[in-house]
Amino acid sequence: MVKEECKALLDALNKVTACYRHMVLTIGGTSDSQNLREELKKTRQKAQELAVANRNKLTTVLKDKTVSKEDKAEFERLWVIFSTCLEILEIDMRRALELGHEFPLNVPKKHLIQTGMSGGTSGVAARAMSVQNMKYEAEHNIDVVDLKDLENEINQVGEMMYEMEMKVNVPQWTVEAKQDPGAELKSTISVGASSIGMISVEENKSFCDISKILAGIIFSAVLIIAIVLAVCVVKLS
Amino acid sequence: MTVTRLDQGQRHRPRMAFLKKIEVLVMEMQNTDTGIKTQTQRVMITTIPHAVAARLQEGVCALGGLQSTVRGNDILQWILQRLQITEEEALHLGDLFVKYGYIYPLQEPKNLTLKTDGSLYRFQTPYFWPAQSWPADDTDYAIYLAKKNIRRKGILEEYEKEHYNMLNQKINYKWDFVIMQAKEQYKAGKERKKADRYALDCQERAYWLVNRTPPGMLDVLEYGIDRVTDPNENKIMYYQQAIMKSRVKSSVSLGGLVKYSEQFLSNDPILSGCLPSNPWITDDPEFWDLNAKLVEIPTRMRVERWAFNFSELIRDPKGRQNFQLFLKKEFSGENLSFWEACEDLKYGDQSKVKEKAEEIYNSTFPFGRRHLRSSPSPVILRQQEEEAKAKEAATTVDITQVMSKLDRRSQLKKEPPK
Repeated sequence: MVKEECKALLDALNKVTACYRHMVLTIGGTSDSQNLREELKKTRQKAQELAVANRNKLTTVLKDKTVSKEDKAEFERLWVIFSTCLEILEIDMRRALELGHEFPLNVPKKHLIQTGMSGGTSGVAARAMSVQNMKYEAEHNIDVVDLKDLENEINQVGEMMYEMEMKVNVPQWTVEAKQDPGAELKSTISVGASSIGMISVEENKSFCDISKILAGIIFSAVLIIAIVLAVCVVKLS
Repeated sequence: MTVTRLDQGQRHRPRMAFLKKIEVLVMEMQNTDTGIKTQTQRVMITTIPHAVAARLQEGVCALGGLQSTVRGNDILQWILQRLQITEEEALHLGDLFVKYGYIYPLQEPKNLTLKTDGSLYRFQTPYFWPAQSWPADDTDYAIYLAKKNIRRKGILEEYEKEHYNMLNQKINYKWDFVIMQAKEQYKAGKERKKADRYALDCQERAYWLVNRTPPGMLDVLEYGIDRVTDPNENKIMYYQQAIMKSRVKSSVSLGGLVKYSEQFLSNDPILSGCLPSNPWITDDPEFWDLNAKLVEIPTRMRVERWAFNFSELIRDPKGRQNFQLFLKKEFSGENLSFWEACEDLKYGDQSKVKEKAEEIYNSTFPFGRRHLRSSPSPVILRQQEEEAKAKEAATTVDITQVMSKLDRRSQLKKEPPK
């Protein structure tokens, strides 16, 4: 139970971190805008909430002496994933601060870099916040105002990481990864509709055809049997 | 417990300080009035080979994408006009922009050079600019390779495969995170417009081409050894110390140089000619024979040189030999032996330092010599002998010898008057 909850929380944090990275990539480029800055702020706050929740849950579990050895190893593995995720989040936040300072939006003399991106990041933000559509309600100078908050939040995250290191004694290098190299390939094949190249698309199609034919044969066989039985019944009676 | 990375970031590498200057120029290029004119180009995916297999199956290619690009020639012209330098310099500078990853080529992604023939380039997003304080992280590279693996269904370049396996071993404890994050980033990327996704792929690829160069390509971000202390920090203290350093007036230092030159001019074989002849010209090695290290009779010029200063005497092996003889006559030879032993200690074998030091100490200093009963050096012995002889000669007077000497003298005196 606890394991599943921890995993779910961790997955959520992972998702938000990935989305945050996507958004930080677009700062300073042509798709940068006030909306982007607002999205960054909201995503970041959500990430922090999730981080705190994760930390609380994991620290209570790790401090629990009654946990079995395999479970403890599993929780340590989750802990390592959590701390790495937090490191990446902190780095991205620092970079966002630096880039935010370098590329203020309302200064006419400072121009954005022509990166060739035209679309917005609202889809990414919606994914991060787990909502359908993003609502934008911030003021028009959020890019400057937000930087102070960002600094404070970076300090908070830094303190949290320091506390974590001091309270929980999990050596990172003792954790063994569960996934082998190349594991990302196996799961995606099963997940999406995208198949392995053009050839396998046809193969898939042919497989589908075969299964359809098989189903058709079985159905017709059942039908014939039913008809024969009905005729027998009629004849006998 | 985690081990926080020792922050030997690029800010400690002052050789990377020039990156800030490039950034200023790149930002100026973006100015709509005075910057470079960008073209909106329909990016035809089919002309870019890598995308064909990966993209076509998704059913839609990014043909509809209008993305701003720059021509190589325009970059060159802008640099020429803005900085007022020669074309060669401008070409080199523009090439550096591409090599450091501020601008990346579209048509030949792996060829990071500036071509002025109308090739298309695009600006890199600021997150991927090389920066002094943000080194390209191994974890990020692992995530990128995993993403590429997903996107290309396992088709990676050879060097990338090697890196992948190496990273898997190196950061194995993070590997679960790497895979999770790669999948999430891939999925999050799908939320963007197709054209933007393609641009993002190009950007990432360009970034990692610069930061993890494939074999055979020049690694421009090579900066030498990592420093632990930051010369950029504490600038005030650094400059204060620099001001406090004692300086010599140039008149004084130049005067010293002139004096040195005047003194050594006559001795210099190149400036004042050498007798009998310059061996390099006449192929006659007599000059070298006459001036061999420990030749029997040193040349006059050489001996004059010893008179200039003490270090000249010591440097010349023949001079040192003569000096040693002189010291022995004055019963002070052990001083030079001590000095030579110290030089041997300085420049000699490190493993024997302790033994040598003890030997020098015991043989030179007379502390408790009587107690040690170690035999003194032969010079001391001889000195003691001479002293003993002189003492004896002073105390025992042989009367007969003295009288005979006096007699002989008086006899000599007597004879002339005759």
